[in-house]
This record gives sequence, C-alpha cells and structure tokens, in this order.
Amino acid sequence: MAGLDPPPSSLSLSLSSPPQALEIHPFESPSSSSSSIFTFHPSHLIFSHLEFTQFSVIPCSFKAMGSSEERVVAVIMVGGPTKGTRFRPLSLNVPKPLFPLAGQPMVNHPISACRRIPNLAQVYLIGFYEEREFALYVSAISNELRVPVRYLREDKPRGSAGGFYSFRNYIMEDSPSHIFLLNCDVCCSFPLPEMLDAHKSYGGMGTILVIKVSAESAHQFGELVADPDTKELLHYAEKPETFVSDLINCGVYVFTPNIFAAIEEAIVERRGKAELRRITSFEALQSATKAIPADYVRLDQDILSPFAGKKEFYTYETLDFWEQIKTPGMSLKCSALYLHQFRYTSPQLLANANDAKGATIIGDVYIHPSAKVHPTAKVGPNVSISANARIGAGVRLISCIILDDVEVLENAVVIHSIVGWKSSIGKWSRVQGEGDCNAKLGITILGESVAVEDEVVVINSIVLPNKTLSVSVQEEIIL
Amino acid sequence: MKALILVGGFGTRLRPLTLSVPKPLVDFANKPMILHQIEALKDVGVTEVVLAINYQPEVMLNFLKDFEAKLGIKITCSQETEPLGTAGPLALARDKLIDGSGEAFFVLNSDVINEYPFAELIKFHKSHGGEATIMVTKVDEPSKYGVVVMEEETGKVDRFVEKPKIFVGNKINAGIYLLNPSVLDRIELRPTSIEKEVFPQIAADQKLFAMVLPGFWMDVGQPRDYITGLRLYLSSLRKRTPSKLAGGSHIVGNVLVHESAVIGEGCLIGPDVAIGPGCVVESGVRLSRCTVMRGARVKKHSCISSSIIGWHSTVGQWARIENMTILGEDVHVCDEIYSNGGVVLPHKEIKSSILKPEIVM
Repeated sequence: MAGLDPPPSSLSLSLSSPPQALEIHPFESPSSSSSSIFTFHPSHLIFSHLEFTQFSVIPCSFKAMGSSEERVVAVIMVGGPTKGTRFRPLSLNVPKPLFPLAGQPMVNHPISACRRIPNLAQVYLIGFYEEREFALYVSAISNELRVPVRYLREDKPRGSAGGFYSFRNYIMEDSPSHIFLLNCDVCCSFPLPEMLDAHKSYGGMGTILVIKVSAESAHQFGELVADPDTKELLHYAEKPETFVSDLINCGVYVFTPNIFAAIEEAIVERRGKAELRRITSFEALQSATKAIPADYVRLDQDILSPFAGKKEFYTYETLDFWEQIKTPGMSLKCSALYLHQFRYTSPQLLANANDAKGATIIGDVYIHPSAKVHPTAKVGPNVSISANARIGAGVRLISCIILDDVEVLENAVVIHSIVGWKSSIGKWSRVQGEGDCNAKLGITILGESVAVEDEVVVINSIVLPNKTLSVSVQEEIIL
Repeated sequence: MKALILVGGFGTRLRPLTLSVPKPLVDFANKPMILHQIEALKDVGVTEVVLAINYQPEVMLNFLKDFEAKLGIKITCSQETEPLGTAGPLALARDKLIDGSGEAFFVLNSDVINEYPFAELIKFHKSHGGEATIMVTKVDEPSKYGVVVMEEETGKVDRFVEKPKIFVGNKINAGIYLLNPSVLDRIELRPTSIEKEVFPQIAADQKLFAMVLPGFWMDVGQPRDYITGLRLYLSSLRKRTPSKLAGGSHIVGNVLVHESAVIGEGCLIGPDVAIGPGCVVESGVRLSRCTVMRGARVKKHSCISSSIIGWHSTVGQWARIENMTILGEDVHVCDEIYSNGGVVLPHKEIKSSILKPEIVM
C-alpha cells in the first residue's frame, strides 16, 4: 500500500497490524483495481486495531468492532471558577466538576457514559480552570476508565459554541465522524449510543437531546419545537418570557464535523456586522451591558435558533431523569438520582444491606471502601459517604453527602445536608435541612473543616469553612 | 531586637475580605494590616520579626519577601501544626526569639491597631526591672474582657480577672507585651493561654508590670470595628503627621488618599475615608466613613457610607452603598443599585438592590 501518509496528529501512532479497511475519498473516482494507488484524506480515515499512546504511561485500546467504523470524540464543557458562584460554598474548596455525586466526581458521570459510545477515540474537557486543577484528575480517570481524557483550557470567554470551535484542531485530530458536546453540570442518563444512532438516521448536522418538562418550569431553559414525525428542530427560543414549548434543551448534543463550518459562518457574519457599525457613544456609556465581542458565539441563540427549520438539526427525546446541577442543593438531589441509577448500571457500587460492616442500610447508599461505619448506625436512603469518613455508633444519616475525612460522633443525626471535608459532627447533634433542593437555604451545607459541637442543632443553614458552631442556628449563612 | 506577631487563624470574622487574602494582609488605611505593626517595630530597632501563623503560610511568605527587601527587616514564619493558643506559639518560636543577648522581645496580637508606643514601652520595661511588661487600655465595659488589676503608681500587676461580675478595674489587656527571654522558660510547647496560665504566674512572682497604652486602641478583626478603627487611626494621624491626610475643598474631616488614586470633579469625600492605590473615584461621588481598596472604581454620582469596597471592585453610577456593606474582591455593583448592608463574596455582580442586610454568595 504505497502512498500512505501518516495522519496529522500529536498522538504517537503505532500500528499493531496493517490497516484492514480503507476508504477512498468519495469525490474521486474509485480505482479500477484493489491494489492501485489511492489518495488519503484525513477526514475519511478509517482504521481498526490501532493503539494510540496518549500519555507515556497509559496505552488505550480501541473497542474494535469490525471493519468500517467511524470514530467519535466527546467534548465536555466544565465551566470555570468565577462562573460557578452559585455552587458556593462547596466551590470555594473544589472545582464544581470535581465535586462528588454518588461517590464520584461530577464529571465522571458523563465520561463514564461516553465509554458506552462505540469507537470513542478521545474525551476532551474544556474549561476555564487552571490546568493544574485538572492534571491529577485527568491522568487518574484516563487510567481508571481506560479512556483517553484531556483537559483543555479556554483563554477567554467565547460563548458555548465559540469555545468548542476554538479547539476544533484538537477535536479533529482523530478525524472523528461524530462529535458529542456535553455540559458537565447536567445530570441525566446520557443515552449517547442511542442518540448517535438516531442522529445517523436523521442525517443532519446535529441532534439535540431534549426532554419534556412542566409548562411552568420550561421558561428557565431553552425551549424547542420539534416536528412530531421527523423530529426536526423547527424553532428554538432561549428562556422565553411567554410559553413556546414544554420540550427543552438538555445540554447534550451530537454533531458531524461540519458544525465547525456553521460556527465559523456565524463568527464571520458577526465580525462583518461589528465592523459595519462602530459602537455608538450611547452604547459605550452603557456600563452594565458589556459589548459582545465578534468571536463570542452562543450555541443556542447563534447556531440552533437560526438553523431551526432548515433540516440541519434534529431532536432526540429522553424519557429518563434530567436535572441541572447549578447549586449545592441540586447536587444532593442529583447524587440521589445517580445512586438510584447505579441499581441498574453498577449495583456493585452500592452498599449491600447485608454488608459485613453490619450497619443498617436503607435504600441507595454509597460507602467508600475506606470509610468506617459503626454497626449500630442506620444509613440511608440516598446517602453517599466518601473516603476515610468515620460514622460513629447510633448515628442516623438520611439523604446526605458526607465528604472525605468527616467524623460523625455518636448518636448524631444528619438529614438533607452536605457535610464538608474534614468536618466533625458532635455527639447528639442534629444537622438538618428541610430538603427543598431549589431553595437558597433548603438544605444545610457545612464547608470544609466545620466543627459542630455536641448537642448543637443546625437547620437550613450554610456554614463557610473553618468555623466552629457552639450554639444552635437556623436559617443562617455563617461566613 | 526581636518580635513575635501572633497572626493565628482563618480570620473568618473578616470574611468576605479574608476569602481573598489572609487577614494580616487585608489593607487597613491603605496598607496591609501587619505592615503597620512591622513598620512600628522597625522604627524602634527590631531587626527580626517572627509571624506565628497556622494558615496559608505560602501566601504570607511570598508577600513578606517584598517587605523584607523594602523595609530592610528580617521576616520569618513560625507555623503551628495544631492550634497552640496564645502562649504556645512563643514556645514554638523559642529558637528564633532567643539569641543569647538577653534582650527582651516584643509579642503583639495582629488584629490590634493603635499608636504602637514601643519606645515608651522599652523605657518603662527597663525602669521597673521586672520580667514582663504588658500594655493595657482603658475601656468602658471591662466585663466583656479580661481585666488587669494593677497598682496605679508603679504599674505592678496584682492579678487578672476574666470577665469580672463586679467592677475591679477598667484596664484590659491591649495585646502588646515586652518579655524577657526568661518568660519562655515558663511556657511549654502545648496549647497554652498566656493570660490564664503564664501571666498570673509572673504576677504572683511580683515581676509583671503594666503600662497604660496612650492613644487609641481597636481590635479591627471584624468589619464594624474596622470602620471605627479607621476613624480612630485617621484622627490620630491628624495629630501626628497631618501632612499625610488629604486636603482641599472637596475633603471633609480626616481623609487618606493614596498618591496613585484619582478623584474626579465635584466629589465630597470624608470624614474618615481611605482611598487605596490605583483607585478611581469619578465625578460627583460622595464618600463617608468608608474604605475603598486597591484598584477599585467608584463611578459617577454614587454615594457610599459606612462600608468597605474590596479590591478591584466597581460601584456603578448613582449607586447607593451604606450601612456596613462589605464588597469582597472583584465585586461589581451595577448602576443605580442600592445596597443596605449587603455582604458580597468575591467575583459577583450585583444586578438588583439589596434592601436589607444580607449575605450574597
């Protein structure tokens, strides 16, 4: 096979066996004989049985599934530190994507879902956090899940499509035929393989995961109107004031590579407009509204909305759960949703009611192997206990997240709360929230190293790190 | 001579400011709090300052390297791995404080702002020949504190009474001590209280003396006291070096403006205002009883009173900020917003008014 140029790639590529199937560029006339010289176009490269060395330590093997497959790259948008202020006080200690839900960092859940996609080549995490905040995580998760994961840092805000577009060279390195784009703070069942199949059958540029919600709550999201038969996206409105549709955008998409051309068009058009009209002096005085730069492209308003009805975008409806994880209250709710899902997807992760530890387990509970739970404690439902936590005698835990190194002393009660790393909960104390995951003070959140003294009651309150509570509090934020 | 400054912990009472920097580095009157103390110590001949800390030493050390160079004084940190109380840190830093010369060393609490009359303290300490001298300050409500009962004439301390129920005296511990090295022999390396365990011992040996602190005294560890403290500090500055205060028709009372700050036309600034380096105060602004920290911008026609505006924040046009509003670092208050006691964490934008005191996370 002469004339085989290696694909342009920063990955070191070693062929364990010669490629078994090659496709000729469709716009060239096929050669008359099978052994003739062909030209090789990176976007149509199809390999199988390849090993990519992403890091010097970790080999990753393809899920080889026969001959002509198409590779898929997944991109997960993880946001940044100054953006996630709604996730305080937990985000004061850990980047939101790494906060644990059901015992695993938030971003693990979409990454694990990506593993089910046939021929997944690469997962990119794109965000504004410093590289070092994700360095350890990325190498650990690549190793653990046998999926190459890489973190790419955005240098400035370019909008939900602009950021994605700015990394197109990395994304296209593997010459994927399809690209998933997911938001990290979405909690759902991620039916990605099914979405991909649906997308292929529609034949458009992209497919959007959608879900029906109540008419009253729909206005908080992007509302879509879809053709009931073809499932084509007919209309898109972001957070409309009046009712448009009860079908909303879940923040999970699959695209074909020509999405980048569409985004580029939008950027070019914007630049053109910006040059034609200088900012008027009136606009310059507007301090509250910042001028939107030319390369700031939002996926929803600037791409989906204009392309609606042009047979480019389609919808795939999920009937499973879906939530956005914007606040600590929601993280408690979503942790419960994932714990429940484990029952079906990974039951070995859940604590067994007949565990040797002996504690009474009710419902869905995750206990890290290094955590210690006293046999007289009663745990659950919806409890997640992280590494090295110690749950004392006679403790009752309901609907809560107990983070690393927490000590809960004898006979304490924790309900609808998140207890931060290294905190201690005193004997007979009661840490409780009402359980309204959407309210500002609907659950109790204790930051890192908070000490609740014996017999103290803490209800519907938020306590920032390094505080000691020696008197009971209700409905308070303690800085 | 040496000095130990007890920096201590997390500074949670000064949040949200202390979410951005450790407490000793929070600016007070346009200078990091701890710099006020270090400069005063240098002026009286201290050559080495040890900071007893238990939180964020890297941040402190980086910052202090700058000071070491500029001030020509050696600054080191002594880090507690477990809280050692108010006396334990002295034992921990023992090797740094004793140099064989037998000279006394200073111990200061970091939150306390006053006139730092260290020269007088040294003189008094030498004159009475005792083992330790503490500075005391007169307060109106001594029962809130630990009272030092002393002989008025000689200053010899008789005893300490913690939160006395009846009136025993009106002088309390001001958090400034001058100690002979022999005091360190009385302190074990464990959590110890200097007031409850060490000083009473020295007093019993008739070797503890107290000196009344001249001038003002304030513990600026929480926002309300920070603002009162600024008033006292500026008023003291007026007496000592009035040239440092700002003047002009747009200034009322005591106002400190950093030389790199810019103030627009038609403003009325004061009383009791500090405007930090690189700040921009646009035209038509009214400021009273407030601190505007480094890099902040106050836009036209706005009005701020009794508040603290954090580093690099902005206050919008026609905004009204009052009643103990504390803006953390990089907080942006939109135009025409009203804040009544809002306490805002760093990196927030305030787009709607805060009508009652509230924490905005």
